[in-house]
Amino acid sequence: MAINIKKVDRNVTMTFLERMYIPYMLHGMWVAVRHSAVNMLGFFEEILAGKSKRRVMTLFYPEEYPEIPPAYRGKPVLVRRDDGLEACVACGLCEAACPPSCISIIGGERDNGERFPVSYTLDGTRCIYCGFCEEVCPKEAIVMSDRFQGLCEYDRSKMIYDKESLLVPRRELQRRLDTIRNKYFSEERYR
Amino acid sequence: METVIALIKNPMVIEFIVTMVKIGFIFGLTIGFFAPMLAWVERKQSAVMQDRVGANRAGVFGFTVIGLLHSLADAIKLIFKEDFIPRGAERGLHTLAPALAVIPALVVFAVIPFGGQYTLWGLDVNLVIADLDVGLLYVFAISSLATYGVVIAGWSSNNNWSLLGGLRASAQMFSYEVTMGLTVIGLIMYYQSLSLVDIVAKQENFWHWGIIWHFPAFVLFLACAVAENKRVPFDAPEAESELVAGYFTEYSGMKFVMFWTAEFIEMVSISGMCVALFLGGHHIPFLTQKFLLTALGDIFGPDWGGVVVMLIGVGVFITKLVILLVLQMTIRWTMPRFRYDQIMKLGWKMILPLSLCWIFLVGVGILTGVMPTP
Repeated sequence: MAINIKKVDRNVTMTFLERMYIPYMLHGMWVAVRHSAVNMLGFFEEILAGKSKRRVMTLFYPEEYPEIPPAYRGKPVLVRRDDGLEACVACGLCEAACPPSCISIIGGERDNGERFPVSYTLDGTRCIYCGFCEEVCPKEAIVMSDRFQGLCEYDRSKMIYDKESLLVPRRELQRRLDTIRNKYFSEERYR
Repeated sequence: METVIALIKNPMVIEFIVTMVKIGFIFGLTIGFFAPMLAWVERKQSAVMQDRVGANRAGVFGFTVIGLLHSLADAIKLIFKEDFIPRGAERGLHTLAPALAVIPALVVFAVIPFGGQYTLWGLDVNLVIADLDVGLLYVFAISSLATYGVVIAGWSSNNNWSLLGGLRASAQMFSYEVTMGLTVIGLIMYYQSLSLVDIVAKQENFWHWGIIWHFPAFVLFLACAVAENKRVPFDAPEAESELVAGYFTEYSGMKFVMFWTAEFIEMVSISGMCVALFLGGHHIPFLTQKFLLTALGDIFGPDWGGVVVMLIGVGVFITKLVILLVLQMTIRWTMPRFRYDQIMKLGWKMILPLSLCWIFLVGVGILTGVMPTP
């Protein structure tokens, strides 16, 4: 049986100038020098005209904050309704849907018959930020926020979030709520 | 008191003091100024070239001085680092190797003139530490010693990557030593001298500069110089992506710094050679030293005028040095690394025959009078 030898075209045919190396080396150096000249001018421009004129796209992170896209899945948070109470009704769907089972809920009932979570614990050491809890929630009570800072701790016990530390007012999450409505209710399977 | 004055007026003592001042100047220039500045330039210039920001965080009380303090911070960090010698390493040689790498790089500067000859207050000042008649031979002899530092470092570390780096370095440095020597032969024929002071003195006329008549040799010499310094694109001995850090993988703390500064000082000294051989040393094009001395002597008096001319000469030398260093840095951040066989092929099959051709052409040119010797 003949071995099928495939000749790989590595695209190494070079022109005479390319084989001489030096002309293209000089060209590369010219590109580098041009960039540095433009960037140096940009540097002076930045000093004179402020950061809006900046050419270098590096973000000075702790001083400048990146713009988080609305579809970003950060720390999951509970929505606090406008009247100050949790939107959560302690149905337990998120608890069931959570792949690493990091959510545990103890439900209770208010005087007016509303159900609410007596305790809502989210284990930050186990959460994988999949967003299933948000997708499964019938009351839009848990959403993935754009928070990504302060999620790491030296002590595991500090990463277990209780209900009070998870509650966030609804108006701060409006952008994400709009996004998930758009996302989940415009898809074919929900129609 | 009188004995002290008599001692100071003793010409030998004066010469000793002048030589010490010159040595101090060279130490300050290379270790004190160029090594930290080049570390900064390497970070910042590469950043600016590649549309990045570069190191700008280290600061004292919020003053960051565009990242200049990073060199200082590095120095502090590395001084306090543990000086680690790996198990199975040859302790003595492992300790000796960094010194063997730094010293040749520094000692080469002894014969490189960083200024001209001046007469100040009846004292002849020649701005070179040792005016050797065989200056060029000395340079090549000493710079081949630098290979030992690298090879010993690679061998004594008891590490595969180090050994490979040392092997590569030895082969590369030996082959480029040969080619580098040959590129300079044409210049020796042209200037009829091995002394760098003589060569610089003969470049007073701009049309006798090495780069005018020996431009191909200049290019070849620069290529060899970059290869000799083991910098990108010839950094196979310390190739980060292949050999971790090559021959100094197993070094930490101040020993690591010594290899690091050795690289920068080698760069400076080889650029100094280049300036002395090809770019006319301290001479300004179309301005002779005599003209400067008379012009400034009228203003400042003969002695202070001489001092000013001396400072101008040193300034011109350093300016040329900086231009060459920036050129080398730009090459370093533009080129990708050559493969090892490509380095060898370039050294033996391209630069060596080309330099031999150039020697032949220079010989023909001098014999037929096409190339007027100074």
